[in-house]
Parts: sequence; structure tokens; C-alpha cells
Amino acid sequence: MELWNHCENPYPFVPNEVLDEAASVRASLPNKYCDPKIAARLYDEVFDEYRLCDDIGLHIVTNEHHSGINNLWAASPVITGIVANITRNVRILSLGTLITVRPDPVRVAEEYATIDVLSRGRLEIGFVKSGATEMVSGDANPMRIREREWEAIDLIEKTLTTHDGPFSWEGKFFTHPHVNIWPRPYQQPRPDFWAATSDLPTCAELGRRGIINTLLFGGYDRTRQAFDAYKKARSQASLTAPGEDRFSYMAFAYVGDTDKEGLRLGQKIAWFLTVSIKSAPQFSKFQPGAVVPEMAPAAWRTGASRRPRPTNLDAEALVGQGQMFAGNPDTVARQIKEFRKRVGGICHIIMMTRQGLVTHAEAEASFRRAAKDVLPQLQDLPPIDADETAWEARRAAAAQ
Amino acid sequence: MTDGRLEIGPLALEVLRREAKAPGAPTLLLLHGINNISENAPFLGPLAEYGEVVAPSHPGFGKSPGPGDRDTLYDLVHVYRSVLDAIPAARVTVIGFSFGGWIAAELAVGGHPKLERLVLVDPFGIKLAGREQRDFPHLFNTDPAELNRRAWHDPASRPTGCYGIGWHAAIGEAMSDDEMVMLARNWDSLCLYAWRPHLYNPQLKYWLHRINVPTLVLWGASDRIVTPDYGRAYAGLIPGARFDVIGGAGHHPELEQPAAFVDRVAGFLGPRARLPGHRPEDRQ
Repeated sequence: MELWNHCENPYPFVPNEVLDEAASVRASLPNKYCDPKIAARLYDEVFDEYRLCDDIGLHIVTNEHHSGINNLWAASPVITGIVANITRNVRILSLGTLITVRPDPVRVAEEYATIDVLSRGRLEIGFVKSGATEMVSGDANPMRIREREWEAIDLIEKTLTTHDGPFSWEGKFFTHPHVNIWPRPYQQPRPDFWAATSDLPTCAELGRRGIINTLLFGGYDRTRQAFDAYKKARSQASLTAPGEDRFSYMAFAYVGDTDKEGLRLGQKIAWFLTVSIKSAPQFSKFQPGAVVPEMAPAAWRTGASRRPRPTNLDAEALVGQGQMFAGNPDTVARQIKEFRKRVGGICHIIMMTRQGLVTHAEAEASFRRAAKDVLPQLQDLPPIDADETAWEARRAAAAQ
Repeated sequence: MTDGRLEIGPLALEVLRREAKAPGAPTLLLLHGINNISENAPFLGPLAEYGEVVAPSHPGFGKSPGPGDRDTLYDLVHVYRSVLDAIPAARVTVIGFSFGGWIAAELAVGGHPKLERLVLVDPFGIKLAGREQRDFPHLFNTDPAELNRRAWHDPASRPTGCYGIGWHAAIGEAMSDDEMVMLARNWDSLCLYAWRPHLYNPQLKYWLHRINVPTLVLWGASDRIVTPDYGRAYAGLIPGARFDVIGGAGHHPELEQPAAFVDRVAGFLGPRARLPGHRPEDRQ
């Protein structure tokens, strides 16, 4: 298995009274509350963490969100390009630039090809559909974003893999009459593609295309369902069964010296859920496309989101739901191995550690323990017995 | 036009109809705003006294099928050109409300041989203010409570079961699941057509002078979504257009002041629309 470090570079320095007063901490919170000197220090700290990860063998994930306290990575290709330059060894996953917000996928492909060359072929390209406040801050129509995402992926793939001169693209969402990027990617035919989704039809399409499927905080059952949809789609299309390297999962993670420390610091990560996703109704449940119309009554009456959110934010509860790995190194390794069994096999664990109120020093300490004491325990694991894990997953679900 | 449906190419549009009360009464084609017209709309009955009412639901609204790839305002204009083709009447008065007013203005700029008169009721559609001033709030990015406050002269008195801008405020009252599904469809579809540029065509103001049929521009005096000043300027770009304000009404005068709304329309339609022996004061 492989461990990845994902940091959203949050900005938890806005006074609580301002956050309490604000209808939304994304999209509309004035940037006067962002001190650029603090932001500069945060960038330095996280880039130092990336250098550490490069030294100790934790791969790196970048992403982007916009106009909010949750994320200072305003442009994933910019940040990923810097990471390519300051690291030498590990792989770098951009998960990703928001292609449903970007108007020109060709430019995105060109940026990624440049990063792939800069990094000598260490780039992985991830796609996220996005939504909610991102559509507002990017002035992107929230309707038809799934179709738009697929067309963007198709155009990016063709752009990365066409080497015989310009081609033309006249799609529903994007047009470009003269596509011919320089440089072409370092990896041939192209860097591996990833996509973050738990939507089962989308997982099935990822399966047919062989794109790595990552879930974000999906917990045991939803993750298993997603991966099963992926495998079933490949089987129905008479494609080879996917290896565990096609599956990925992002969870909150803190590796402490002791279980107590792991849980105590893991609890600081929950700020991500308790504070940084506060969003006004027009940016969430009332945003067009947020739910299919048939689901609107439930969503509007209860405020339910299309995305499952943990309901109990206690660190121990998050661990129990498979949404956090926290404890001493042996505990975390055991949690990850259990997760692997219950979801039917997985290769990539993306750790969200430098999140919320976790400090630079605390994050680095966790990374060192993860690399030194957790990662070795995740190597050369016995193959997953699909029948056995399916039975155990059903038993675990029934017991809940 | 049968069974409440109107076939426009592959689109079987839902149509609400009210028969004319007298032979020879004009045909009134209603282009709804952000929500399809409810059969309980308080102006429907009184308006039918002056003509046959034909009120389709735009593709994706009400019970009309989704638009598929015909999901731009260009497509909507051609949908309504086709509706005019399909209506048996030789001459038709088009009444466009709010978002539907924008469609109606585009339709009239392009012209249609059956188009006899045009009524625009608090329409969107043109950009007048500078690049750093909005003519109206962004409907999808604004707090629904604020939209509700700005859309009505008196939000507390909006009719039950008829939804305009700020409809979100009615959730939790007597709204049924079916109504919520319909409102969600409408909201999604409006977004498809009108996210960007938001509820206007930057070129439309340059071509409103092509409208060559009698035009009435009606405005709710208390409309704080799209102000009466915007309406006056809009009307000023249409040759010979009459501008009139309805007091005690916001963005939806047809819902807040249905009698006054019907009076204005009846007056615009002229004597041939009036039924024998009927006087305006008889209306509710």
C-alpha cells in the first residue's frame, strides 16, 4: 500500500465571532480577514512538510478550492508545479484542478504536461466534479457539471495523447479549433488519471476507463459499494479485473505516539467539518443541481446534502465510521488494514492530517511516524479474499 | 392542442388553457416567469374573460419534459416561435412575465406573422447599468430570504400555491412534495437557461427597436428585484411602448394585484376583447 499526504492549507485564523456571524465561510467571506503575511507563512510551512514527505516516502496530493477559509491552494497546477520543483522522489497527485469551473481544458492539459515534464514523470492527474460554493466563486453553471466534467476529461486526454499536430474539438461544452500543446507529457501515453466520486454510475464509468477511483470520507459501506460498482462495470464490459492500485481513499489521519495522543490531535482535524464548510443555503441545498428534483423534499425539509457527512464528529466515532485513522502507529496500521479488508482491497490511503487546528509541528510528527512505523506494516499484505471480505462487510453492516 | 400537451418537435409541452368566453376574443399566449403558471393563479379566470389563455410550461418547467440539448435561450425563443406556428389563431397577443418577459422580448425582436401585441410584465433580459453595477440580484447567489423580501410588495400576502421569486420561503408551510419536486425542476431549468450572462442578453437592447407591434410594459411599483426605473428604460427602447406601474405589487403584479393587472391588459387589448355587458368593476 502507499500513503499520501493531502493538505488543503486551511486558514483557521479568522476570529470566531466573524465566522459565527457569517452566513457562509466560503465564497462570500471578505478577504480582509485573510492576512497575507499569515498566508505566506502557511505556504512555507506546508512546502516544508512536502519536502519532508519527499524525504521519507509519503506521496503528495494537492488540490484547490476558492474564496474561503478551508483552502489557500487557489490553483492546483500552480501549487503542483512548485511541488514538482521542490521534490525529487515521490509522486504528486493533483486532485485536482476544478475542470468544471475552468473554461478551457486544453490549457489545463498544457499545465499538467508542463508539470509532468518538470517532475520527470511523477505527476498523477485527478479530476473532481466540484459544486456548491465553487460554482459561485468560479461563475460556473452548476447544472450539467457531470457531463461537462466528462467532456473536459475526454478533451484533456486527447490533448495529452495527440502528437501529430493540431486537432479540432467542437463539443457541447468546449470548443477549440487548434489543439497542439507543447510540451507533451513526460509519461507515455499520459500520466495516470484519478477521479474523486462516490456516485455509483460515475464509479462504473471510471471502472470501464480504468481511472483510479478515490472516495473522500465515504466510510466502509459507501466505499465498498463504490468499488464494487467499479469492479462490476469492468466485469460486465469483459475487461480485466482491477488491481488494488485502482482504488484510493481519503480519510482524516493522525499518527500519535500513543492512541490517546492520536485521538486528541485527530480531534483537531474535525474543524474541517465543524467550521470550514459552513455554507449559505443558496450555495448548498438550494443550489441548482444540488439534488435531483425527486430528492428535493427530503433535502429542503431536513437540510440534507447530496454528500454524506459524518453526523458524529467525535474522533473515536469518526474512527468507528472509517472516516478517520488515528492512534499510535500500530493502531493506525491495524485500522488501515481493517479498512482494506472491509472495502475489498485498496492500495492508496490519502491522509488528511494538516487540517483544521493541527499545527505544522504536529503534522510533521505524524508524517514521520506514518512513514517510519505505519507504512512498513502495510507492505506485502496477503491478497484480499473477495468472498470472505464481502461476507465480513455484510456482517459488519448488519451489526451496526 | 389536445389533452393539455402541445407537440413542439420532440417536446410535448404541458399547456394550461382557459377557453375564451366569447367568439372572436383574442388568443393570449402566456410565457411564464421562473415558475410555470399555476392553475390556481388568481389572474387566470379574470384574464380569460378577455381572451383564450394558452400557457405552456417551458421545457424543463412544470410537467414539460426537459430540454435535452435545446437548453439555451436561443432554443426557448424557437420553441415559442413554434408554439405560435401551432396555435390555430391567426393573431396572438404574447404576455411574458419576468423570465418569460425576456423570452417574449427576444421573440418580438425576431418577429412572427401571428404576433399582434406584446405585454411585458417586469421582464428581465437587458443590461443597462455599468459593469460594476447589477440591474438585478443574481437569483442563484442571493440569500433566498432576501429575494423573498425584494420580490413582493408584501411577502405575507402572496397567494398560497403560486410561487414567484423567493419561493423558498414557502417551504415548510403547506407545500406538498409534488410542489417541491416541481419547484426544483423549475429552478434547475432556469439555471440551465440563465446562469450566464445572468438573465440578460448583452445584445438585446440594441435590437428592441425592431419590435413593431403595440407593446405594453407593466411593472410592479414595489419590485425591488428589477426596479421600475429599469422598466421605464426598457420600455423606452421599444418604439411606441406604453409603460404603466401597478401599485401595491412587487415583481409579480399578476399575483399580488390580479384585478389591476387584468384591468391594464384589458385596456391594452381594446374594446374588441370585452364581453357584452361586462364592466371592469365586476372583476374580483
